[in-house]
Amino acid sequence: MANYGMALDYKNCINCKACEVACKEENGVQLGADKHRIWVGVKEIEGLWPNLSIASSTFEPSQCQQCENAPCQEVCPTQATHYTKDGVVMVDADKCILCSYCMEACPYDARYVKEDTMTVDKCTFCSDTRLLRGETTTACQATCPTKVRTFGDLDDPNSEISILLAHREHRTLKTHLGTKPKLFYLI
Amino acid sequence: MFVLAEKGMKIIERFIPMRHTDIRELLKFEKTPLNLLVAFTTLVFLVLFVVGATNYLIHGHHAYGVTREHPWGLMIAMYIFFVVSSTGLCIMSAIGHVFEVEVLEPFAKRAIHGALVTLLSGFVVIFLEIGHPLKMMIYNTISPGLTSAIWGMGVLYSLYLIFIVIEFFFLLRHDHKWAKRFGIFGLVVGVAAHSNLGAVFGFLVARPVANGIYYPLYFILSAMVTGCYLIFLMYGFKYKLNFPPEMQKTLVATSKILGLLLAILLFFEIWRMLTAIYGGMEDRAETALHILKSSPFLVGEILLGIVIPFLVILLSNGKAIRTMVFASLGGMVGIFFMRYDLVHDTQLYPMQTLKLREYQLPPSFIEYFPSTTEIFIALGAIGIAITLYYIGDKILYLETDPD
Amino acid sequence: MKVEISRRRFLQGSVALSIIGGTSIGATSLLSDENEHGEMRIMTRTTNTKAQKVPFLCGMCVNKCAGIARVEKGVVVKLDPNPYFPKSRNMLCPRGNAGIQTLYDPDRLKYPLVRVGNRGDGKYKRVSWDEAYDAILNGTDKFKGLLQILDEEKDNRSTIGYCNGEGLSKEGFEELMGLKIGTPNYVDEISICLETVLGGYSATIGAYGEADMSNADYVIIAGANRAEAIITPDTMDMFKRSKGRGLKTIVLDPRFTNTAAKADRWYAVNPGTDLAFVLALTYVVFDENLYDKEFAKKYLVGYEDYKNHVIKNGYTPQWAEKITNIPADEIYKTAREFMSSEHPIYYQGRRSVFAKNDFQLRRAQAIFQGLSGNLDKKGGIIYGKKLALPKEDVNSPMYAQAQDRFDKEGIAIFAGKTGSWIVFRNMVLEGKNPYPLRAMFMRKHNPMAGVPNTKKTEEFLKKMDLNVMIDILPSDTTMFCDVILPEASYLERTSPVASYGFLEPAIVQRKAAIKPMFESKTPEVIYKELAEKLTEPLWKNSLKYDEDVQDDTKGMKADELAKYYKENGFDLTEPWEKSVEELNKERVVKAFGEEAWNTLEEKGVYYPNMDKYHKQLNPNEYQYYPDDKKNYTTKGDKLKVVVNFKNLAKKGVDPMPTWHDEWAFKVPDGQFRLVTGRHAQFTQSGTTNNMALRDLIPTNYIWINKREAKKRGIEFGDMLEVKSSIGKIHIKAYPTEKIAPNMIFMLHGFGGSSKEMEMAYGKGGNDAAIIEDKIEPVYGAAVMHETNVEIRKV
Repeated sequence: MANYGMALDYKNCINCKACEVACKEENGVQLGADKHRIWVGVKEIEGLWPNLSIASSTFEPSQCQQCENAPCQEVCPTQATHYTKDGVVMVDADKCILCSYCMEACPYDARYVKEDTMTVDKCTFCSDTRLLRGETTTACQATCPTKVRTFGDLDDPNSEISILLAHREHRTLKTHLGTKPKLFYLI
Repeated sequence: MFVLAEKGMKIIERFIPMRHTDIRELLKFEKTPLNLLVAFTTLVFLVLFVVGATNYLIHGHHAYGVTREHPWGLMIAMYIFFVVSSTGLCIMSAIGHVFEVEVLEPFAKRAIHGALVTLLSGFVVIFLEIGHPLKMMIYNTISPGLTSAIWGMGVLYSLYLIFIVIEFFFLLRHDHKWAKRFGIFGLVVGVAAHSNLGAVFGFLVARPVANGIYYPLYFILSAMVTGCYLIFLMYGFKYKLNFPPEMQKTLVATSKILGLLLAILLFFEIWRMLTAIYGGMEDRAETALHILKSSPFLVGEILLGIVIPFLVILLSNGKAIRTMVFASLGGMVGIFFMRYDLVHDTQLYPMQTLKLREYQLPPSFIEYFPSTTEIFIALGAIGIAITLYYIGDKILYLETDPD
Repeated sequence: MKVEISRRRFLQGSVALSIIGGTSIGATSLLSDENEHGEMRIMTRTTNTKAQKVPFLCGMCVNKCAGIARVEKGVVVKLDPNPYFPKSRNMLCPRGNAGIQTLYDPDRLKYPLVRVGNRGDGKYKRVSWDEAYDAILNGTDKFKGLLQILDEEKDNRSTIGYCNGEGLSKEGFEELMGLKIGTPNYVDEISICLETVLGGYSATIGAYGEADMSNADYVIIAGANRAEAIITPDTMDMFKRSKGRGLKTIVLDPRFTNTAAKADRWYAVNPGTDLAFVLALTYVVFDENLYDKEFAKKYLVGYEDYKNHVIKNGYTPQWAEKITNIPADEIYKTAREFMSSEHPIYYQGRRSVFAKNDFQLRRAQAIFQGLSGNLDKKGGIIYGKKLALPKEDVNSPMYAQAQDRFDKEGIAIFAGKTGSWIVFRNMVLEGKNPYPLRAMFMRKHNPMAGVPNTKKTEEFLKKMDLNVMIDILPSDTTMFCDVILPEASYLERTSPVASYGFLEPAIVQRKAAIKPMFESKTPEVIYKELAEKLTEPLWKNSLKYDEDVQDDTKGMKADELAKYYKENGFDLTEPWEKSVEELNKERVVKAFGEEAWNTLEEKGVYYPNMDKYHKQLNPNEYQYYPDDKKNYTTKGDKLKVVVNFKNLAKKGVDPMPTWHDEWAFKVPDGQFRLVTGRHAQFTQSGTTNNMALRDLIPTNYIWINKREAKKRGIEFGDMLEVKSSIGKIHIKAYPTEKIAPNMIFMLHGFGGSSKEMEMAYGKGGNDAAIIEDKIEPVYGAAVMHETNVEIRKV
């Protein structure tokens, strides 16, 4: 029993997308640009050359927020989307009927259709691959050149992530929606 | 096959008063140009349905124009189009035979027939939208997601189907007592199911333009409008615009109710837009402005769907019932756009507003256009509805007074 | 290739079930999926089954990061970073992660092939390895063999040219072709890459050095794009501390790169004018006496001459403003900030040569670094140490008939070993070579995409009597070869053990994760077998024509002759008597002992005291060496910065960095300056066929300023024709404010013409087809950013 979350030192991110490829290889995520569990986003730069706003070009690595109050879980008619005992939001492909309601409900565009099973798929925090083998990092965390991510148990006060969150300011995405995301962006 | 079907029919005939008919008889109709046109169009639609459905069964969702960002498309819109029609007809029917508003009683049976036909057509469409319909029936039952509006909708529409079938059964048998009882059940469950369908969108916390109480209420209101339009269309077609005096009275009453409903609907739309645009939520306001400038909204929803029929009613004091038949035809086109827009508009504002690749335009309003397969199936579903309606009209006694 | 098996069969035959796939139904969908566009998609997924974990060194670019390959049932399913290697610091970049897609690329070269059609038409015949070697030696009815060529050239070994791209097996190829077969005519990536950077720094501070980005507090990164052109450990160290977290970062680039996005300040410098910027910084430093005087007096040879030179020439910030497009105030500010910082670094920058003044730019940078005194110390540019590995000398024969290399035209300092690709190729095309060049032996190199002016490279290749290629993919260049030898990719081979130096030295070994697939062979096995095939016939050719050999061997009996052949190195096979695996063990055991070898085998990395020093600090970071054991200061009093390099004057090169007005940035009206560069998800033409990376960058686009695009009615995705004096390409438009109105940028490496690389073929534009083949005057390295182009919507 754990309560997994992730802290992102997003200012480290150089938008190289190593995490995205590592995630695909580790988890067998289908190739194709719109088939991704995780991503790095950036706004279109503001300003006119050569007076460009560097601040407007901040890189934002992201993925499923593993919400504590997940809209996708709430709307699933068959409980295919569920919370694991470790607080990870997962899709049970056997139960998924592909009504796509969860894709409508997710405020983070974190879900996509996996085409070999024709069911909805999303980030699992590597629960069914790395964690299952006893590893303690996700593929995206492990491969990152600038070490953006720290994955761990939010309920364990001595875990690296708990310590990070205790000592550093952080924010979450679309907080106002009340989804209680478990991806924390360190400021 | 035919023999078996005829045997089946014979058994049903023991319980329900029916016209004695056979297949040949069924295919006979008066060869007026309009009838021929409708027959031909229906036939084409049915062929398109077969083509579209086959393509879907082979290629799955690849055959549809839906994407990660726009997972719901024309199929969902068509489904809503049909089930809204069904609820609307059910409500309109109930006003007459449940609440005993006498002047509206004449169309009770035909309206319930229409409700059944459109509901079944809607189910056909949703079966071709849900990726795994059989799995749905199993896991909706053994692993219910009680917080899910889609689950609730599934359950309520199933009950609704059962109730209106029974209601229809008693109506056909002229058992007004039981028809009324089941009519109440049907009405309550239908309204519940239908407002629940609105809630499918209303629950979407991620989509501010849909989120909230608006859609559940709006669905009921617009359902009644749809019911009125369909009544005009059914009777306009049946009587070729030469309405008997009794029916004239009914339709004038209907058009007055419709006038009131349209006024409320317009009022709804205005406040929805005003609160969205000036409500202080940036993404909702942007989306609302985008909707406000789109022609499906202005021409489809507002002009065809509301304003023209409303003006016809207003200017004629509800008496221009022949014109109303045409206005209703336009009204149904408007209603289609209401459904299409509601699905599309909900998904307009991107959930991912950042660029994920260097070589792309920054995400803006999500675009969607139905694929050929989707269009084929949608038209096909209309063909199915017309066919079912025709068959019912042919073999059942759909007027209040069969003798 | 006509003999190719289908893509589906490729997978069925070679890859087991753990590769999962897409939509299609049926047995084959477990392996692959051909989508609507006919592209096949395969993806690996890890499972819970027992797996081998094999340490490897990445081969997706030149950087060589360490990783661990997870192998399940004989299939490489995942590449993870190796936490033991101090250089790559427990990371793999997107390309490193996508290595599996290169390994299992359906378009890989699978069998030896011999050309049966015309050059470039793609008609090849599958042959056995022996038949392929035989075709190299004796030719076929379509092309001449090496023996006939050498016979006709009377054993002038220099008639053979060879080239090789960067990599761990490059040395072996040089041994075979240069030291053993005996030709000096070698070209490689260096003259189309960073030759002047290495040269400029070596000439000035004695080495390229390493920037200690973990401890620096101020860095100027000019024309280097470390966020996208990833170099370890620089990239990781820089960006963990940029953005107000200890490392103030000043970026100069004509284009707003991802590195600029991480900067405190970004200056949109005009292409080719960085030298004026550095000179102006230097002016401020001298004018305001900001430099480390004690350090300068002690180590900077001739700095006073330079001071006079800079002041006298009036290299003021005001002067530089006009040239560079950087405001004078900003130059003053930067110079003062730099010199008042405790650990400032003017980042050396590894990249291709962009402008003709690049050698002088590097000299000026290195001197400027010297003026701060932040050299050979913590937080500065350091020299570090390297762990020595023993190496046996190659017994290289002397060929009397072989002649010197000739590619010296227009070059001041001739770099004897690698020469200049452009000068070498152009002199052959123009008939300026003093003796015929008739064969090219190529390995892991794609000059059609890499060397400016593709048309000329094609003509050059067509001029040869014999072209041989050793590679893993059918590149554009491969399609002009007569014999193609399929090499094992980096995950299928154990490579010669390598030593990585600087702050935290270590030795590393790439081990084969799986056996070579199909009929591919590791490079060292290919060298060995080729040597075995060639050695006797070529020896006989020397006996026939080489007067020195004839004199030496006159009257020798057979056994004496055999001894002479062996002792004088004519036996070509000698360097490959032992396998790579045996040699690695021998060398490591000899230098560090048996224990070290075991560590290296298991972990892929070894350095003395690794067991004591190596510690995990947190889930993400490791300590490799304790701070007091890092090689911050290694030069001590031997440190020397050559400011006034008088010997250079004798060769016609400025002895001190000097600005020449002809270097000013000029673009005629209506034209654009073409600049090129890199993205992190893409190396060069070699990764265009990688399916995982193609999801991230499907093709290259041309960056054009938004306002300029609007003026010309150009929108995102519009097809443009880009035309220079030497050629034209078609490429899609990407309007953006991240580039100046008179410049365009395109990613290097796309626009492949080889139809055998299905994902890459016809995607984007090849910059080499339009970059004019100009050289810088010191080494003859290609300059990449001196081409003006016209664009037109098509």
